[in-house]
Amino acid sequence: MIVRPVQVTDLPALLALVRQAGRGLSALPAEEERLNHRLRWAKRTFAEQVERADADYLFVLEDDDQQVVGVSAVAGAVGLREPWYNYRVGLTVSSSQDLGIQRHMTTLFLSNEMTGQSGLCTLFLRPDQRLGGQGRLLSLSRLLFVAEFPHLFGDKLIAELRGSADEQGCSPFWDSVGRHFFKMDFSHADHLSGLGNKSFIAELMPRQPIYTCLLTEQAQAVIGKPHANSEAALKILSAEGFAHKGYVDIFDAGPVIEAPTSDIRTVRDSQLLDLVIGAPDDQAPVWLIHNRRLENCRVTAAQARQSGHSLVVDRATAKRLQLQPGDSVRAVPLLNQQQQAVAA
Amino acid sequence: MLVLRPVQLTDLPQLQRLAHESLVGVTSLPDDSERLRDKILDSCTSFEQHVQSPGPENYFFVLEDLTNRSLVGCSEILATAGFNEPFYSLRNRHFNSASRELNIEHDVPALSLCHDLSGHTLLRGFHIDAAWVRTAASELLSRARLLFIAAHALRFSDTVITEIVGYSSDEGHSPFWDAVGKHFFDLPYVEAERLCGLESRTFLAELMPQYPIYVPMLPQAAQDCIGRIHPDGQDAFDILEREGFETNSYVDLFDGGPTLYARTGNIRSIAQSHTTEASPGVSIDARGRYLVSNDSLENFRAIVAELDYTPGQPVTLDAGMCAALKVTEGRHVRLIAL
Repeated sequence: MIVRPVQVTDLPALLALVRQAGRGLSALPAEEERLNHRLRWAKRTFAEQVERADADYLFVLEDDDQQVVGVSAVAGAVGLREPWYNYRVGLTVSSSQDLGIQRHMTTLFLSNEMTGQSGLCTLFLRPDQRLGGQGRLLSLSRLLFVAEFPHLFGDKLIAELRGSADEQGCSPFWDSVGRHFFKMDFSHADHLSGLGNKSFIAELMPRQPIYTCLLTEQAQAVIGKPHANSEAALKILSAEGFAHKGYVDIFDAGPVIEAPTSDIRTVRDSQLLDLVIGAPDDQAPVWLIHNRRLENCRVTAAQARQSGHSLVVDRATAKRLQLQPGDSVRAVPLLNQQQQAVAA
Repeated sequence: MLVLRPVQLTDLPQLQRLAHESLVGVTSLPDDSERLRDKILDSCTSFEQHVQSPGPENYFFVLEDLTNRSLVGCSEILATAGFNEPFYSLRNRHFNSASRELNIEHDVPALSLCHDLSGHTLLRGFHIDAAWVRTAASELLSRARLLFIAAHALRFSDTVITEIVGYSSDEGHSPFWDAVGKHFFDLPYVEAERLCGLESRTFLAELMPQYPIYVPMLPQAAQDCIGRIHPDGQDAFDILEREGFETNSYVDLFDGGPTLYARTGNIRSIAQSHTTEASPGVSIDARGRYLVSNDSLENFRAIVAELDYTPGQPVTLDAGMCAALKVTEGRHVRLIAL
């Protein structure tokens, strides 16, 4: 398995993948023309032809049979073209000493705080592939990429996780808030947002702070809660040092998790090592390895042994990375499930 | 015969009964004898004071049944809402938003805490015994205040407002309160109204929501309360509507009840009332029913009377009327058709 930048020729495979994803992947449009546009844009991004504000690093996960089974992306910066909105979950305190009453009211404040930060997004792995380390490879390869090219990214990385919704795709938070202002179903708003038509958000969003006690109980209960399908992604990134600092999605109140770029485990602990081809033993830990290239980026996960400044991998791994012995790699041990739990 | 007159200290016991029976939402009639006593004294001072422009005065009137000297109702005029303490209400304001691209445009109403209504003259404290609702007596109790304002214009503002009690159930629940105020006060509606009548109102500023409340987010039952009148407040509302009062976009903080508003000069009983001289006697052909008042201050009196009146002529009042109005030959009276 490798993670590499998307190519224009991936279009049919991606279309199939997107259609399979259904509702959960609003950022990747199911319409061919729009998807094609995104692929072309990603290509320009990897060719370093776009500004950070427009950078869209879209990766695919490909197996050894050249089947595309997953996608993930990182945006160079959010909110520098069209404003990026979140709700900050804050507190309003009011008190009357005379009456001996004090009230702590959870309040949602509309905010643009994430402006300029880099954003992890568009994560999808075909359900039959969600075993072993594929999810971690797909998600964390982006972080290794960021580690290699920090000048292309911001001081902070954020990830907006999908919020709670029922099987019909109804979000209780949307029904209590957004619906009154947008006059459309959640899925439609989500779809529009995913298409990149975000000006409607600015035009229709309620700008005044919202007291959560005025929301339905179900809506209050989902504020900051990720959708069940996002739990795995949350675990992986939490182990990397991402944390929820009180910001949520304005549509479904899903949590925004964030981390200072330099504090992210993969970024902080990754090392530059020289590739050595050999035969790592069965007990050798799995490493996340990047060939340090941009346009020809390759990231893979493989058992490897560190020896001084060298990383010993097998021949197949070197081939996947398109590297020769002695070439430089950026690598970090991939935490397994147990270690993840400890780190989180 | 019923006569409207300023309150006196001796009225206290009867006032207590009235306060006890009045609607929960009529907060200016606290069910507390010490507070009532203070109100009476404050009113007496207001009537005695020499006033050139409206201040904190509160004019408290009672409706007395002369046959048995019992009180059947009361009403007040506060010269200036918000003079001593801010007068809070909720402004129902529309936030307009539109997306041309999506062809969506809508007005989202939101309720904002404000004290825009400070400075107006405020009619309040209206309560009448159930037996007299929707009779000439309630017209007298409400509108005699307007005749008083007409007689003593310097004491009042150019604009007059009143709050009509909003809807609450027989068990004392206000859906509007339950959806809004309760979250901020953590008190039942009845208790909150009671506090309003007793304590200084700074607690309102301290606890009421500072940010606008989007109306569509409230439960439907609460939305329906916005501008809705309590059934027992309908009479008061109708009387003032006939006087030319109109609703504006302000509602009560607690129960969402409507505010009525009018320019003083446009109020029917003020603009169309006539003054003339009293002529004691017996009238032969008393065709019309009128509200009649003297133009006095602390001896203000108002009654309902059947009269034979021709504009420009003195009006004949019988002995009972003259006594009730405390007028003699040649004294000025003010009248308006009932």
